Amino acid sequence: MLEYQIFFDYAPILLIGFWLTIKIVVCAIALGIPLGLFLALGRRSNFVIISFLSTSFIELFRNTPFIIQVFLFYYVLPFYGLRLSAEYIGVLALAAFGSAYFAEIIRAGIDAVPKGQLDSARAIGMTDWQAMRNVILPQTLSIVIPPLTNQTLTLIKESAILSTITVHELTMTGLMVQGETFRPFEVFIMVALLYWALNETIATIMRKFEQNTKKNRKAGSIGNSSTTLKKSTSIK
Amino acid sequence: MTSNFLELKGLYKTFDNITALNNVSLNVSKGEVIFIIGPSGCGKSTLLRAVNWLTPPDKGEVWLEGNLVGSSSSKLTIKEAKLLNNLRAKMGMVFQQFNVWPHLNVLENVVRPQLVVAKRNKANAESKALKILDEVSLHNKIDEWPDHLSGGQKQRLAIARALAMDPILMLLDEPTSALDPELVGEVLIVLKRLVNNGMTMLIVTHELGFASEFGDRLLFMDGGEIIEEGSPKKILTMPKTKRLKMFLKKLDITSFKH
Repeated sequence: MLEYQIFFDYAPILLIGFWLTIKIVVCAIALGIPLGLFLALGRRSNFVIISFLSTSFIELFRNTPFIIQVFLFYYVLPFYGLRLSAEYIGVLALAAFGSAYFAEIIRAGIDAVPKGQLDSARAIGMTDWQAMRNVILPQTLSIVIPPLTNQTLTLIKESAILSTITVHELTMTGLMVQGETFRPFEVFIMVALLYWALNETIATIMRKFEQNTKKNRKAGSIGNSSTTLKKSTSIK
Repeated sequence: MTSNFLELKGLYKTFDNITALNNVSLNVSKGEVIFIIGPSGCGKSTLLRAVNWLTPPDKGEVWLEGNLVGSSSSKLTIKEAKLLNNLRAKMGMVFQQFNVWPHLNVLENVVRPQLVVAKRNKANAESKALKILDEVSLHNKIDEWPDHLSGGQKQRLAIARALAMDPILMLLDEPTSALDPELVGEVLIVLKRLVNNGMTMLIVTHELGFASEFGDRLLFMDGGEIIEEGSPKKILTMPKTKRLKMFLKKLDITSFKH
């Protein structure tokens, strides 16, 4: 039988672990997506060295187990004099791992924009970067939202592996509570529910966001010109 | 001086053993309207795209008002790249597939390049855009998204976007080929006005009637070369080469079928 008392007694400590999981994942995504964009552009670069380095980075992190990457970060970084707490190492490892996938998603998104879009931007006198920023990337955004969301959910789940390097996130906390109570079923149900709640929330928010961006473009005439103009400047 | 407005010197371009441009040279005077016709794959689009270096030729040079477009070597220096962007802004390009920007509404499509490339301030860019959109009869569509426009409207928007940059030369790559027949007229009206305003234009087209009425010169291309060149009426009524005769015959048959 389930011992319901455990839910109440250990919820607070699990929530502390949960909070750390959220913080780590948010930081990893905040680092990982810009890094992914950088890698995606790097991979497409005409400069051989930049494209080689970007490609190597992406392939390295896509083709090795995350747990091994975490160990390498954890044991190798201090060896080179970079002494960081396990939490920060966890953020870095998760960001690096995520960025490789983000990069491929963004690259596919850029490739999905019809070639004529870049032609028209270049023909009117935009530099490569201006064309990217004003014409290509805004169109990439609506394409990449669903796969980016997917990858974010994966990242949240992968963050459980950080328990192996003593990061007191949700899974680690769960293991500790389990060791104390010997009630694995109750504990891990709670842990699973918390991960599920977080992922479901994010998925729902992103679905809404996606629908909004679609609706905006399909809405036809929206408001008067001054409101749309204001929007355009804020995007710029 | 006028003959040196636009100069193409010995352009070569091959794609995987297909010769798209084979030693093409051309002098264009200011205000001249040149139509380019030819079978598909003859290099006419490549020629247009070589003028603004969108498809850099393997060999040859393009000069616009005494400025070298692109580079005489395959690699652009930073200075050349900068000049190229300035020159491109002066060469408005219109594509068969319109290539309007679907994430920006009609007004923003015309305003954005003015802000980004021409560095105009927003008020100036907007008033300019409104004026030009009025000229192409899209003034009542300024808040519309491009996905909601008809093909003819999209093409007029693309033309407006190019005109807002105050081009001195327009490059039009089959501007009416992707349009339903009943929408061709509205785009031609806009183009005719450009001709009457003295705009220098290079137009790749299959609209022979339009070409013979408004062209100062007509080029017939095949196999990457300019085969015949001269006044449109003369060339279309009295083709000299067999290749042009065949081409005109084919066009006649297809237009008859429709």
